[in-house]
Amino acid sequence: MSDLSVEVATAPMTRNGISIDDTFAEAFGMSATGIIITADTPKWARQSALTMTGFGTSVIGCGAECGIDYEIAPEDTPDGRPGVRALVFGFAPQLVEEQLKNRVGQCVLTSPGSACFNGLESSQKISLSGGPRFFGDGWQTARKLGDTRYWRVPVMDGEFVIEDKAGVVTDAVGGGNFLVVGEHRKGVLEACELAVEAIENVPDVIAPFPGGIVRSGSKVGSKYGAPASTNDAFCPVLRGAVDSQLGPDDKCVLEIVIDGLTSDAVANAMKAGLAAVLEAGPSRGVRRISAGNYGGNLGQHHYHLKDYLP
Amino acid sequence: MSTLKLALRAEPPQRANLSQLSPGVIGSLSVSEIEKLVLVDSTSPVRVGDCFAVSGEAGGALHIEGGSQRLDYVGAGNTGEVVVDGDVGSYAGRQMRSGSLEIRGNAGSALASNLRGGKIIVKGNAGDRIGHPLAGEKDGIAGGTVIVLGDVGDFASERMRRGTLIVKGRMGRSAGARMMGGTIYGEQGLGDHAGVQMRRGTLIGPTLEQPLATFADCGTHDLLILKIMERYWRDKLGDLAPPVISSAPRRLMGDMSSLGKGEILLTAG
Repeated sequence: MSDLSVEVATAPMTRNGISIDDTFAEAFGMSATGIIITADTPKWARQSALTMTGFGTSVIGCGAECGIDYEIAPEDTPDGRPGVRALVFGFAPQLVEEQLKNRVGQCVLTSPGSACFNGLESSQKISLSGGPRFFGDGWQTARKLGDTRYWRVPVMDGEFVIEDKAGVVTDAVGGGNFLVVGEHRKGVLEACELAVEAIENVPDVIAPFPGGIVRSGSKVGSKYGAPASTNDAFCPVLRGAVDSQLGPDDKCVLEIVIDGLTSDAVANAMKAGLAAVLEAGPSRGVRRISAGNYGGNLGQHHYHLKDYLP
Repeated sequence: MSTLKLALRAEPPQRANLSQLSPGVIGSLSVSEIEKLVLVDSTSPVRVGDCFAVSGEAGGALHIEGGSQRLDYVGAGNTGEVVVDGDVGSYAGRQMRSGSLEIRGNAGSALASNLRGGKIIVKGNAGDRIGHPLAGEKDGIAGGTVIVLGDVGDFASERMRRGTLIVKGRMGRSAGARMMGGTIYGEQGLGDHAGVQMRRGTLIGPTLEQPLATFADCGTHDLLILKIMERYWRDKLGDLAPPVISSAPRRLMGDMSSLGKGEILLTAG
């Protein structure tokens, strides 16, 4: 969920010369699953996961919010090969399942040497193999080991192995966020890149936008009837023409959006990201940090910036 | 965990049915009540007390000291832990759904008949028709794991549906006949007619005595599923796990006279 900031910040706090708005990120309950993609090499495991999680920035436009959580050493994957854990977030389990069917079928099944396994232990399950196994055209076979069923689908480089089910949780969180405001795009982008690197070290979260960073924060509604449109209050080029929340030296705003399997995971990611920006920001022209919310009436989860400062 | 101990004093005069002594079946009978249970139902009934010295407490585990090939249905329906210091007769571990059965001698025919879950270990040899379903039952072994450290007879795991049979010794003929799923691993090789009429499932072994003409040779292949199976067995079975398959096995697919979606994997190429 990209942010829809409407709340005016009050009483700014300051860290390292960067002011922090006394505001909060408003996030929503979501459903989510995790899968492990393996391949013969780390490169191809990552390539497969990157493709599978592509076009997964906003659930509104993409059907799901997706990203790579972390890489997994061969000794920790089900088949002893290098792996990547990817997370997929959606509005409901059945919608996540539908996304998995298409994404795994088109992007993991097709990737050389790949295999796909459940990456989230949960009592609630959704189908992982439901689409891809039928690619076998009747030659697919199942293998049950303990309580886990695997499917073997003949493909041109051998067999595609895929676990039958994946765990799904319904208490995941989508839309944790913060805005980084600064004097120039280069510096703000560098600070945000460092924040995303810090967030990558937090398990169970993803930053689903390109490189983890959003440049097109949005507000609710549009004069054209679209569900969302540009967040004009944070557009530097509109300052003076709209009810802007930016000062005269604010030339660039970038946002980091965070989805997590738990609220604690999102909070940890907020903390890690904010710390990175506050440390690296001053030398890069970062002047202020804010957050996106809807006034607090829509999302169940509120992450007040002041609670996550170093 | 409470343990019921039966020390064999005299071999039963006829085949005896021990199924009522299994953990999960016996309930919480007292020693005197157990001694009165009938093992051989005939004009001259033979009771537990006639053959065994009974001690301990029923419920969690059963330990039989001494064995005989006349002791049938040992551990049948077991859901706890059963150990036998000796041989057993037919149908040991029949329809177990969980728990373990360790036979420190030999097992007779139809070991693990219609097994549903749990683990059976036989330290000696096992007879013909491991997993054999009784008349009217659709499946042989339908879950669980059976490990035989010695040799096994003919028609092992006929009509197997799920689960694993691992044989450390030699296998008789027609292992996996009419198999519908599951895995049979013959560490010393597979006998002739292995997989006859199999529909699905996997047989693994270094060699096959006489391949059937109704199996298609698919060549040698690195199969990822074997890595997953090896890891699973290593975690579940420890030292009893089958050896790691180091080279790409030859895959024979069949039985083409049936559904043809089963496979025999020959690890010696």
